[in-house]
Amino acid sequence: MRIKNKRAQEEMVGFAAIIILVAVIILVFLGFSMRNTNKEVVESYEVESYLEAVLQYTTECEDYLNHLTIKQLIFSCEQGDVCQNGGDPCEILESTLIEISSAAWPYGEERPIKGYLFNITVEGRELESIFQGEETNTRKASSQNFIKSGNQIKLFFEAYF
Amino acid sequence: MVKKGQVKIQQMAFMLIALTIFFVLVGLVVLVFTFSGVTDAATELNERNAMLLVSKLSNSPEFACGDSFGNNKLACVDFDKVMALNINIDQYENFWGVSNIEIRKLSSSGRNTLCTQGNYPNCDIIRLRDKDLAGFDSSNFVSLCHKEKFEDTFYDKCELAKLMISYEVANAN
Repeated sequence: MRIKNKRAQEEMVGFAAIIILVAVIILVFLGFSMRNTNKEVVESYEVESYLEAVLQYTTECEDYLNHLTIKQLIFSCEQGDVCQNGGDPCEILESTLIEISSAAWPYGEERPIKGYLFNITVEGRELESIFQGEETNTRKASSQNFIKSGNQIKLFFEAYF
Repeated sequence: MVKKGQVKIQQMAFMLIALTIFFVLVGLVVLVFTFSGVTDAATELNERNAMLLVSKLSNSPEFACGDSFGNNKLACVDFDKVMALNINIDQYENFWGVSNIEIRKLSSSGRNTLCTQGNYPNCDIIRLRDKDLAGFDSSNFVSLCHKEKFEDTFYDKCELAKLMISYEVANAN
């Protein structure tokens, strides 16, 4: 009877070891598969420099002194101003951003870049949102903040690969 | 008695094999994680170095806008300066340690007109050096600014451009 019990105990320990081994293998595979499905957000210096350069871009919109930059145009759009040459700052902002973003990040099914998202918020409220192409799980993103007249303006750009 | 002992040895052998497989698997997982971290770190370091090299170039006195277009701008290249530099580029041999330097305007027109003194500023590509490509290349977005004539006045016009460089990495041997 004692021998039988001992043998049963040994078998139980062996069984438990096999269960643990199988569980670990399953966990490892689960970990790998979960890792692949997670969205990959990469902080990109290229996107960062792109946002920096975009803010300095000169647009068609004029005020009394000069042609406005994108940075000034965002503020003008937020304030509901009108360009001196008659244009709507928000419309010019949107068309300019589409034009330069599509030139800088040419996208398409046959290209490495599949699409992009350009988002501008003022105090958390969406001022402009441009989405072109298609969204994928591999992306490069960056954001830039600046404050003008007490309002926090945030630019966010994300390119999909 | 002999049979029982053989069974015990067999059980131990199976257990040893299972344990070996287990540790090999764990080792493999640890190796994969470690090497993926190293690769990521190396990629990040390369990207950072390339970015720093391009930033260094765009912010060097020969390229930078300085205060010519309002307050001091970052990643801003003075188109006029670059055109002047293009004439005297031979004096800058090995100065920045890069093989090729090219600035390409980004516009929806998709034109590829090479800049000369004759067609400036209505051109798209400024090629400062034109050696055979070797080593690594990197690029970064910059703002390309110049004074544009509009009716009777001049205004600051900044366009989006890409500063592209290629450089040779010193041989480790």
